[in-house]
Amino acid sequence: MIETRGLTRKFGTITAVDDLNLKIRDGEVFGFIGPNGAGKTTTVRMLCCLIAPTSGSAHIHGLDISKPEEALMIRGKIGLLPEMPGLYESLSAYRNLDFYAQLYDVPKGVREERIQKLLQTLGMWERRDDPVGKFSKGMKQKIAMARALVHEPDYLFLDEPTSGLDPEASLTVRNYLLDLKKEGRTIFINTHNLDDAARLCDRVGVMSTRLLAVGTPDELSGMFWGNTTVVRLRHIAPGMIDAVSSLPGVTGVKQEGSAMLVDVGYPEDVNPLITKTLVNMGGEVLSMGELKRGLEDVYIKLLGERR
Amino acid sequence: MRLDRIWTVARKDMSEFRTNKYIIYSLVLMPILIAVVLPTIYLAPFTMFAQPNEPFDINIPDTDIRIGETFNEGTFANVTFINCNLENVVAENCRFESCEIRSSLVRSSHVANTTVINGAVMRSNVLNVTFDGSVGSDTRILGEDTEQEGFLFQFIGFLMLFFILIPAIVPTVIASYTFVGEKLNRSLEPLLATPTTDAELLAGKSLSIFLPTMLVTWLSFIPFVLLVNFLATPIIGHAPLPDLTWLIGVFVLAPLFCVMSIALNVIVSSRVSDVRASQQIGSLVVLPVVALFVISLSGLFTLGPLVMLAISGAIGLVDVGIAYLTLKTFQREEILVRWK
Ligand SMILES: Nc1ncnc2c1ncn2[C@@H]1O[C@H](COP(=O)(O)OP(=O)(O)O)[C@@H](O)[C@H]1O
Ligand SMILES: [Mg+2]
Repeated sequence: MIETRGLTRKFGTITAVDDLNLKIRDGEVFGFIGPNGAGKTTTVRMLCCLIAPTSGSAHIHGLDISKPEEALMIRGKIGLLPEMPGLYESLSAYRNLDFYAQLYDVPKGVREERIQKLLQTLGMWERRDDPVGKFSKGMKQKIAMARALVHEPDYLFLDEPTSGLDPEASLTVRNYLLDLKKEGRTIFINTHNLDDAARLCDRVGVMSTRLLAVGTPDELSGMFWGNTTVVRLRHIAPGMIDAVSSLPGVTGVKQEGSAMLVDVGYPEDVNPLITKTLVNMGGEVLSMGELKRGLEDVYIKLLGERR
Repeated sequence: MRLDRIWTVARKDMSEFRTNKYIIYSLVLMPILIAVVLPTIYLAPFTMFAQPNEPFDINIPDTDIRIGETFNEGTFANVTFINCNLENVVAENCRFESCEIRSSLVRSSHVANTTVINGAVMRSNVLNVTFDGSVGSDTRILGEDTEQEGFLFQFIGFLMLFFILIPAIVPTVIASYTFVGEKLNRSLEPLLATPTTDAELLAGKSLSIFLPTMLVTWLSFIPFVLLVNFLATPIIGHAPLPDLTWLIGVFVLAPLFCVMSIALNVIVSSRVSDVRASQQIGSLVVLPVVALFVISLSGLFTLGPLVMLAISGAIGLVDVGIAYLTLKTFQREEILVRWK
């Protein structure tokens, strides 16, 4: 479990992270989304025991990030993919991974096997002896990802794993993350790719120095918008809007072309009434469904509210 | 501190050096220059024109020994005189010990602790001889250095100082690549996220600079000693190296300077983000070595074993201080937040 209490970090007069309270369960994939400068990297650096909090505390696996001996134990349990891959460009992919595996005390035999498996999974085994400096950005990112996993950490911190990658490379990385998710690792992903967050994460936190909201993507959209039923009709006859508006349990109606967006309290109660009303008025209902608000809407709304 | 971790870090750094041509150049060229090129250029012509000062091969049989006698006129050969007074004699192939020789001619002899008045000594080995109104021609002075020998010793000492200079300069080049390089490449952050302590990382990275530098220094000391001895032995009469002063210099002072250079360069690297700037500032560590050059050349005091030990002690103390500062500079938080 990752737990932070009032975690705060200042750089001089700038507050990078303010009073962060989070609880991330084991096996959960948590997305930390927010614009540039929101304090995502700073948070991850604090959790990886790289920089100290100004105030507040954080525990990983019950260990305190602020106590040096416990920090050392935490660092053995975590894998970090930093914003920049930071590989040794003159060394081969294999040597890069082998070096890290040694630092993490992975025994020699296991090391070879694991590096081979990682590189094969990422499609980089053929290139294992090439110096990393010759690799494309996407390939480097894969090697850096393998590096974070070479000791099979319980906790994985990924700082913008798909940023700056071409669509194909980011797809590989994303698919790989989906595989990792199945392995039951606790994964903390910093991203401003909302698509990734929605697809990969069990829960997301929206960050902008302070944590603005946290929950599953669905919970987040529910927080701002009630349920909206979308009714598609062959065409909307005059009076239909007014009739639906006056139904009990309907809080608002909007027309979008030949579709009606109906804000409702409890869809189970109200949706049948809507259908009946429209059919009675001679409407031809083509389909009826629930409007999904994406994470993007949540994000824009949250950050828009702050401005 | 876990030694295996330190060694892992050092090995990784050293395998990186192998691909850096500037590091390889400085590790290979600098010692060749100092161990082979400089002595050849400076010592070879010197030895070509210098007068040899090997003692003559003079054999005096012990059969005829005169003690405390006085001789006036006469010709002597194969005699050993101890505590004798001689006047108006001609001596060949004799040994004189603590004698007084007047108005005489001495040839092909061995003269020690003796006063020669109004006479001449030719083609002889002399030791502590006072010439009073006399001439010595083609004499080989034993036990003390001739002027040219003195100069030669000073020159060898000067060349030896380069062996302290290499371990101070080479780390400047390597550190600029390893520390500034890692910083620019952002490879320190994932490294710091491993369960390795700051001190282990610093020790490993420092070791990776120390080992090749000292290895190269010591390896080039061997051809240097051989070459210098080859060139200088005919002049001095014996092999000038290795002598105690320079053994201390090369095996004690040089590594201490190396440590100092590494530590200073780590601090410099933390403040600059450009390899060349780091090399320029870092190369200021040669200043104390240059001071040593100046002092030894000025002849203010001779570099004996004791002076060398004293200097080593002082540099050792400086090392402890700088190492402490370096450890404070090389901390996770500092590196990620303040290293620019
Ligand atoms: N070493 C530092 N020194 C000063 N300010 C910093 C430092 N690191 C981060 N900051 C500031 O902290 C804030 C959060 O940065 P960061 O955590 O990198 O955000 P994100 O990763 O979400 O883009 C920014 O305003 C940034 O300028
Ligand atoms: Mg960031």
